[in-house]
Amino acid sequence: MAHIHCTDIVKSYGAHPVISGLNLDIPNHEFVVFLGPSGCGKSTMLRMIAGLEEVSGGRIEIGGTDVTDLPPGERGVAMVFQSYALYPHMSVADNITFGLRRQGVSKAEIAPRLKQVAEVLGLEQFLDRRPKNLSGGQQQRVAMARAMIKTPKVFLFDEPLSNLDAKLREKLRTEIRRMHLKLKTTTIFVTHDQLEAMTIADRIVLMRDGMIEQMGTPDEIFERPASRFVADFIGTPAMNFVTATLEAGLIARSGSIKLQLSEAEFPSLNPGQEVELGLRPARMDLCAPGSANALTGEVVLVENMGAEGQVITEVDGAEISFVTQGFRDLSIGDTVHFTIRPEHIHVFDPKTGRSLRKD
Amino acid sequence: MTRKRFVILSLVPAIGLLATLAVVSIAGAVWFALMNRTLRSPDYDFVGAYNFLRLLRDHRFFNALEISAIWELVTVTGTLVVAVLLAVLIFETVKKPLWRNLISFAFLVPVLLPRVAAAFIWRFLYSPSLGAINYLLSLVGIGPVEFLADPSLALVSVAIVDIWQWGLFFTVILLKLMETLPRDPIEAAKLDNARTWEIHAYITLPMLKGPLISLALVKAVESLRSFDLIFVMTGGGPGTATETLDLYAYQMGINMGGRISYASAMSILLLIVTTVAFTIIWKAGKKWAN
Ligand SMILES: Nc1ncnc2c1ncn2[C@@H]1O[C@H](COP(=O)(O)OP(=O)(O)OP(=O)(O)O)[C@@H](O)[C@H]1O
Ligand SMILES: [Mg+2]
Repeated sequence: MAHIHCTDIVKSYGAHPVISGLNLDIPNHEFVVFLGPSGCGKSTMLRMIAGLEEVSGGRIEIGGTDVTDLPPGERGVAMVFQSYALYPHMSVADNITFGLRRQGVSKAEIAPRLKQVAEVLGLEQFLDRRPKNLSGGQQQRVAMARAMIKTPKVFLFDEPLSNLDAKLREKLRTEIRRMHLKLKTTTIFVTHDQLEAMTIADRIVLMRDGMIEQMGTPDEIFERPASRFVADFIGTPAMNFVTATLEAGLIARSGSIKLQLSEAEFPSLNPGQEVELGLRPARMDLCAPGSANALTGEVVLVENMGAEGQVITEVDGAEISFVTQGFRDLSIGDTVHFTIRPEHIHVFDPKTGRSLRKD
Repeated sequence: MTRKRFVILSLVPAIGLLATLAVVSIAGAVWFALMNRTLRSPDYDFVGAYNFLRLLRDHRFFNALEISAIWELVTVTGTLVVAVLLAVLIFETVKKPLWRNLISFAFLVPVLLPRVAAAFIWRFLYSPSLGAINYLLSLVGIGPVEFLADPSLALVSVAIVDIWQWGLFFTVILLKLMETLPRDPIEAAKLDNARTWEIHAYITLPMLKGPLISLALVKAVESLRSFDLIFVMTGGGPGTATETLDLYAYQMGINMGGRISYASAMSILLLIVTTVAFTIIWKAGKKWAN
């Protein structure tokens, strides 16, 4: 078990920079998720920590040892690939124990470890099979067993669940989380599924174009997004954005919309300032006409999500959506009133996109 | 049903043609083998199994059989070993696609040479007085070595030419096959602490087991037909040190004796031996591949 320490990591393919000066600290025992849009460099970062990709600059430390120049096998990391990367011509048992055999661990020691790992992951009856005769979920478990049996200092997962169906994904996600609670091995998990990230992570590293946009607990990322990009990326349905002008008394106005902002959260705002407001659909709900912070719009579309529904409305010609349990009484063309509490309104600088919240 | 009919319809013409050709020539050979025809005289009689019985008492025939077996073994294993080693070496050391393609192109040249041309080039290289190899050896104080005239070296010296042609060709094929392998299992093996040679011994080459068996079979069939190479380089000599079955049959039937019937009997036996041997090898290969 070990902490991971990345300093000024740079990676470029030819003249094309992929990671530009990334600093990252992951404490011991933590479960960290790399989250970000496709192509932002998550896999590249993970592969550099694994040693499968050379860094163009910077140092990587694992457990206090500088591993930047060590080959992958000597870094004490185990990785689970999106494609599972099982050895197709070997039995499940041989797949799982391959690493131990390469380290010269004795047969007598391997057998009980194999038995234990197979038991934990429910693989006992498959040990003699070839990977191609297993289902996707079983193959994924074999890949996890192969990583676990080495008792590595660090687990690395690169989108391990993205080839599975939704139900199985949820099940394995819980298993991975449970495994981490038990083993407490430092883990980095790459995904571009924000729900997966929110449910599984101790901390989320949200990346964009090879840089860290924000790093924090799922709650921090969700409730206190550091930028418009983060706010937009996290949460479904996606956040509404409204450009507004500030008036005295911390009132933001945009056409018919007039919203009171939180004095405690945004003490540094000045009247006359242009800002971008972020309104989470899930934080808004129906209200009586004339309530505080009410918006008024015309229903354009109602989407049934089961327990709740997303209502898309037109306010001053722009679309704003909110989520409510009372969506069943609404129909297209209705006029609706809905509200948001001041502490749930996010305010961003329209030029830089950074949040204007006090630190 | 329609699919089955399509399969049959598309197979029948080709198989029919091949069968006709094979049946005619085999029947002709059997026909000749039962007589005592020679090129010298037009007279002949039917002699039954006489030619076959004589073959079983012919030491030169068994020598040729042994040389053929050694030739197969040496060229097939030699070609595959060279191809595997070179392919792995290039795969690990040459990373730039341009260099790989240039090397591949260079490696294809030998096999594109006509056998006879390759044979003449190497006969010259092997020459004790003029050859480049003996010149190099003389620099380190060895030689001159009679590569083609020394009975203990001749067969290996000719085999090297064969391996030079086909080993390099198979290197290119293997290299291209290795490039098509999925990268993930190889990376997983790196993380599993496998050294480079272990990655190839335990991961990449086992993944290429099927193609390797096919290549071995192709080469085994090809090695049966090395008449031109051996004929030009040594003519079967010195003595009978490089006389394979096809060379012996040629010597008997055409060159020296003109004993067509005896040579025909020999080719019939050769046909039976190779068919049986290849069936066994094929079955074994299939079993091993699973
Ligand atoms: N071998 C390579 N050569 C050149 N460019 C590469 C190479 N590998 C990755 N890249 C580039 O690096 C960038 C980051 O790739 P990376 O695979 O890390 O993205 P990612 O965040 O994992 O995306 P995804 O979620 O789609 O897996 C991409 O723009 C990609 O085109
Ligand atoms: Mg990726």
